[in-house]
Amino acid sequence: MVIAFSCNLFNTIVMQKKDIYTLVLLILLTITTAFFSNLENGLKVIGLIILILSGIKFIAVAFQFMELGKAHNFWKGLVISFLTLFIGIIYAVL
Amino acid sequence: MKTEQIDYKNFYYPPGGILIWILITVELLTFGMALIALVFMSKEDPELFHKSRLLLNSTFGATNTIFLLVSGFFMATTVHLFKKRKFDKASFYLNLTMIGGVLFLILKTFEYYHKIESGLVIDYNTFFTFYWLLTGFHVIHVLVGLVILTYFKFTLKKLETEDLEAGAAFWHMCDLIWLLLFPVIYLIL
Repeated sequence: MVIAFSCNLFNTIVMQKKDIYTLVLLILLTITTAFFSNLENGLKVIGLIILILSGIKFIAVAFQFMELGKAHNFWKGLVISFLTLFIGIIYAVL
Repeated sequence: MKTEQIDYKNFYYPPGGILIWILITVELLTFGMALIALVFMSKEDPELFHKSRLLLNSTFGATNTIFLLVSGFFMATTVHLFKKRKFDKASFYLNLTMIGGVLFLILKTFEYYHKIESGLVIDYNTFFTFYWLLTGFHVIHVLVGLVILTYFKFTLKKLETEDLEAGAAFWHMCDLIWLLLFPVIYLIL
């Protein structure tokens, strides 16, 4: 029971730490995205970089904060497919 | 210490339940298609869309992104604490979550006020029609999310884990939608 409690406590701390790391990553990516947008001079590749950075943020929120990582593969696949399709179409049209 | 266990690997029980994930999928598809339509339309007159996009304040957009992300972090923490039956702490973090949402709305109101004052209203041009409709619908979602969180605030101890997770998923959905809107509307056109 003590081991189970310790594991539980450890998991909670690790989970919270992961959330904190995710938040720091998200804020850094937001600042980086803003930096890249200032470099914008009509280059299509800048648009792609901004979209990919935003896509990473999207995945981080879905998988860490929404705990999608624990879900059935169908839901993970659905979110990743949607995002890939979205970024792909926007980039193709840009 | 009681910790509730839900089999999230079951197809029918993603965190928050299958219904909220169907809603999230439909919402993402709707906003996604509207953004793709915006980018398609921008090809007809790229200069107009680029100049219109430059009239937006990307610092406001980035700040609002951070408000929503931090709020989402507090929401995730609320759910973790709720599952551990630490209701007082969960309630505290729920308050912080709501403050993040309110800050988002205050800054958005400020942004809208300046747009209206400058005459950049919904029929100013095609870009601003998209801007007002997309960001406006997103604001409505944030408002609905805040109503749900306020209800949770007063009924926290009576809530089922699935209910809180569904509400949290709705709140995170507002983040996800904004993470699609912000780069396309404020940064890349």
